[in-house]
Amino acid sequence: MTDRRRINGPAGTTIPPIFEDTSNKEDANSVKGRTRAPDAVRKMFLRTGVTPTASGSAYLEYESSAKSGVSGIKLSCTVHGPRSLPRSSPFSPHIVLSTHVKYAPFATKQRRGYLRDPSERDLGTHLETALRGAIIADRWPKSGVDIIISVIEGDQDRASSGPQSDETWDMMNVLSGCITVASAALADAGIDCVDTVAGGVAALVQGPSEDTPPSVVVDPIPSEHERILGACCIAYLPTRDEVTNLWFKGDLPASEMDLYTKLVENGILASASASKVLVDCLKDALA
Amino acid sequence: MATISSAVGEDQPPQPSLTFTRPVFAKLSPHPYLLHTLSPSDPSVPSSRTNGRKPQEARKIQINTSSLSQAHGSALVRTGDTTVICGVRGEILPVSSIPQFRADQHKNYNYDGEDKRIEQGKKELLEYDLLVPNIELATGCAPQFLPGVPPTTLAQTVSTRVYSLLHSAGIVDVEGLRVWYTPAKRDEDKMEEDDREEEELEPEVKGYWVLYIDLLFVSFDGNPFDAAWTAVMAALRDTKLPNARWDPDREMVVCEKGEGKRLDVRGLPVACSAAVFLEKEHAEDREGDRHWILLDPDRQEEGLCKEVITAVVDCSGGQGETKIRSLEKQGGTVLGRELIRGFVGVAEERWKEVAAEMPQ
Repeated sequence: MTDRRRINGPAGTTIPPIFEDTSNKEDANSVKGRTRAPDAVRKMFLRTGVTPTASGSAYLEYESSAKSGVSGIKLSCTVHGPRSLPRSSPFSPHIVLSTHVKYAPFATKQRRGYLRDPSERDLGTHLETALRGAIIADRWPKSGVDIIISVIEGDQDRASSGPQSDETWDMMNVLSGCITVASAALADAGIDCVDTVAGGVAALVQGPSEDTPPSVVVDPIPSEHERILGACCIAYLPTRDEVTNLWFKGDLPASEMDLYTKLVENGILASASASKVLVDCLKDALA
Repeated sequence: MATISSAVGEDQPPQPSLTFTRPVFAKLSPHPYLLHTLSPSDPSVPSSRTNGRKPQEARKIQINTSSLSQAHGSALVRTGDTTVICGVRGEILPVSSIPQFRADQHKNYNYDGEDKRIEQGKKELLEYDLLVPNIELATGCAPQFLPGVPPTTLAQTVSTRVYSLLHSAGIVDVEGLRVWYTPAKRDEDKMEEDDREEEELEPEVKGYWVLYIDLLFVSFDGNPFDAAWTAVMAALRDTKLPNARWDPDREMVVCEKGEGKRLDVRGLPVACSAAVFLEKEHAEDREGDRHWILLDPDRQEEGLCKEVITAVVDCSGGQGETKIRSLEKQGGTVLGRELIRGFVGVAEERWKEVAAEMPQ
């Protein structure tokens, strides 16, 4: 059934543009490969107070990569609260967090609908776990806070007609951005936290040729690498040296325990550098 | 009450007693506060609104385009604390999935006048539903708009108003959305059926671009329609659709990579809204009541006013000619014929401000 509260467009299904296959010509001038050092994250821009009508808000943008057509992530986060829970809800001794992540219809290669899909719910749940470890929840009994993130732009290559699996790795990067931006917005709203939580991603990628061993990089962009074997997203509290959320995806041999540890270490490294940006931004906001 | 109003009138040193600071008073009792600032007791103080603007002063507008890479056209518009992002994305609608497609409809209007052609194009846009604007307010852009609920009445109203204005003002030329195909001449046709050949070589429409126009409010502080409409105009003017052609072998529309063709946008209508603020908050009898027309109202003022007028004017025709594209008024009985005529003059001034900011 169509949603009659929105404008749905033509009855027939529309097809996103299909491009002619000109990959042979394209390969010559495209920049394939990573231009940053394996342990360098992209530059990011973070600012608080973009939505004056909300209790707290922040905007995060990642630098787009050297290759044209690959966008950097753009996220906008608003925080509403703490405010009293509705009368009907049961007593809660802690603050009730509700997180909501939504992609804008124009954020990804495929147009997104207005209803939340499972991947967006998944992101919301991970974000909630990451933040719950940082907020001092018992300072606000019987109250709730809403954290809403709009993904204005995801991390995808518009030109490539590559496999859909790009999207799963894109989600990792989006989650790490969500954690950082939500942390800034919470600080802007004046909600007490034990520390500023920041997100970071590390991935195991296939080298340029088949026989080179896979290497670990931070902040991966799917289009810059031949193939991503596995990735992990970490939410990290730098001053307490604690991890509040760890999300692992991909296929890795179970025998190599070192590899897992290495990925987590690199993820922490990435979140530590995101944390520097976050702390600088919050200090600037105070000045 | 007496102590409160005297504290508002002039800047007295703060007293420890029951007086409030200006922002607190403005929040507690917005109507008397706005009335007081609009009609100050001291005649030398100019009449102003709570937000410091003069009654007929709009907020500065700021327009950025092409900042999104996934959309075909995009714009970010900021007026005061209202910020809206618009992304336009084209998708192909093959003729085969249009239920009532009439192939002959657009054949012969090259022989008709320009006006007839435009009228035909408008009909075609509406019939096949090629423009799809939607407004998303549930982004936490203001405390009353939280996600997880169906679109609010306001979101639905603004979407519908943008939709009907897009169609009635004839902004988009349907020619730019058509995908044509001219069948190639084949030798076997020539031999077999000589007489049918001429007919087969007529170019035909194989598909249309459908423009999904999605608007996302990042921050909301009143006057959503003006901001949304400006964003739609800026994004449409920024839209570049890839060159598309019909591939007869694969029986589908394929696009070429690289820079596309800029969408043809006719005219530059600009929306200008104002709210009418009445002296008495609840009185039934409005005779002799004073009123103020507040241009570009913010969130607080919108809550205090019932009557709202929106004029959409287009002065891009040249020779100082103004075309009124739409005139809407809701609630209240203050604005009569004279005031509305005067308001169109205000809208013309606003048109100049917005047109100056609009990227070429």
